Amino acid sequence: MSDSTETDENNKYNPGENQDDLILQQHRKIEKEISESIALIGNKEALSSLESEYSDDDIYRQKVQDLSNKYKSVRRTRPDGNCFFRAFAFAYLESLLDNQQEFAKFKDTKNCSIRGGVNLGFPQFTLEDFHDTFMEVVNVVGNGPSACDELYKLFNNSGYSDYVVVYLRLIASGQLQKEAEFYQNFIEGCRSVLDFCHQEVEPMFKESDHIHIIALSSALNVGVRVRYMDRGDSSEVIAHDFPEGSKVAVHLLYRPGHYDILYPSTS
Amino acid sequence: MSTPARRRLMRDFKRLQEDPPTGVSGAPTDNNIMIWNAVIFGPHDTPFEDGTFKLTIEFTEEYPNKPPTVRFVSKMFHPNVYADGGICLDILQNRWSPTYDVSAILTSIQSLLSDPNPNSPANSMAAQLYKENRREYEKRVKACVEQSFVD
Repeated sequence: MSDSTETDENNKYNPGENQDDLILQQHRKIEKEISESIALIGNKEALSSLESEYSDDDIYRQKVQDLSNKYKSVRRTRPDGNCFFRAFAFAYLESLLDNQQEFAKFKDTKNCSIRGGVNLGFPQFTLEDFHDTFMEVVNVVGNGPSACDELYKLFNNSGYSDYVVVYLRLIASGQLQKEAEFYQNFIEGCRSVLDFCHQEVEPMFKESDHIHIIALSSALNVGVRVRYMDRGDSSEVIAHDFPEGSKVAVHLLYRPGHYDILYPSTS
Repeated sequence: MSTPARRRLMRDFKRLQEDPPTGVSGAPTDNNIMIWNAVIFGPHDTPFEDGTFKLTIEFTEEYPNKPPTVRFVSKMFHPNVYADGGICLDILQNRWSPTYDVSAILTSIQSLLSDPNPNSPANSMAAQLYKENRREYEKRVKACVEQSFVD
């Protein structure tokens, strides 16, 4: 390319330049590429669609094989760091479409509010905004199975979808802070639970770890089964349930750095 | 057209008018709610006292999921403010939370004026003077304060 020298010139470190801005610009460019090619929540695909990704990889092929004995389909999510929260929200609300009794319980039991949210230092003004939008999406589920398309559309509208993610992040953060003494044991380094929440839980686009999953599933009392598909020796895809021993309502597939939604064969 | 970002900015503006924090003010520009002008008054008992520092805040449609770009328009001499007015502040970068609103942003910048963080300098001269020669630092800051009356 003829403009390569110009690019080199641009890349030269210039102490007068605002380096934060340059880094941000690059991040934005990468995010834009991802957002233009992958939907926030994809269509349901047959599980076999995973096979094609691993045609020349024996370990993963075996694992897809194992998965296909247990699950019939998969729904991909956008890898933007919010995938766990978004996948969880969609999968759970989708499961409630056919289970209005459970839905009523979820809505009624104050499950949907952040207990003591304001006391935890969340500004009431902005908290309300996220809560209202979250409830708007939740209420769609009350229309029953026919509302599936509407739910899918809302989750692909970033205005709603991202607000749902923010709200769940706040619920997770609230849970971590409420049980700070317990969760402190799982935080590496010398960060406090509060710092961890400010740096890794509340900001959008921050990836989720076990601790996020435990916090959210315990706060909402919704069981999550995560299938871990990695390079481990076993030919089986290992499952972890959060919280341990709970009734599983949401099935997720984890591949290093990313969560998608799984649908079991028997249901 | 109303988008989530615009709706939220209307709410931010309403809140800023109904419950204005001390020492800061801000409002959208006449024809564009995505670009705001703001003023931060230099906090008492700091070398910035009496200064009226102007800023611009630029939002994208991704607000409040992404932070806005905030810049001082007034000339600043501060360890965490770049030559172009850009601000090095964690909540505007990696610690941004969608629960922050304009009011929270402005009060955070205001407290950054009182408590600079010389360990992550955007202006290394200011950071060095702040640590090693406070008198000279204050002299340079005072010059900005005086400049801010004229701007």
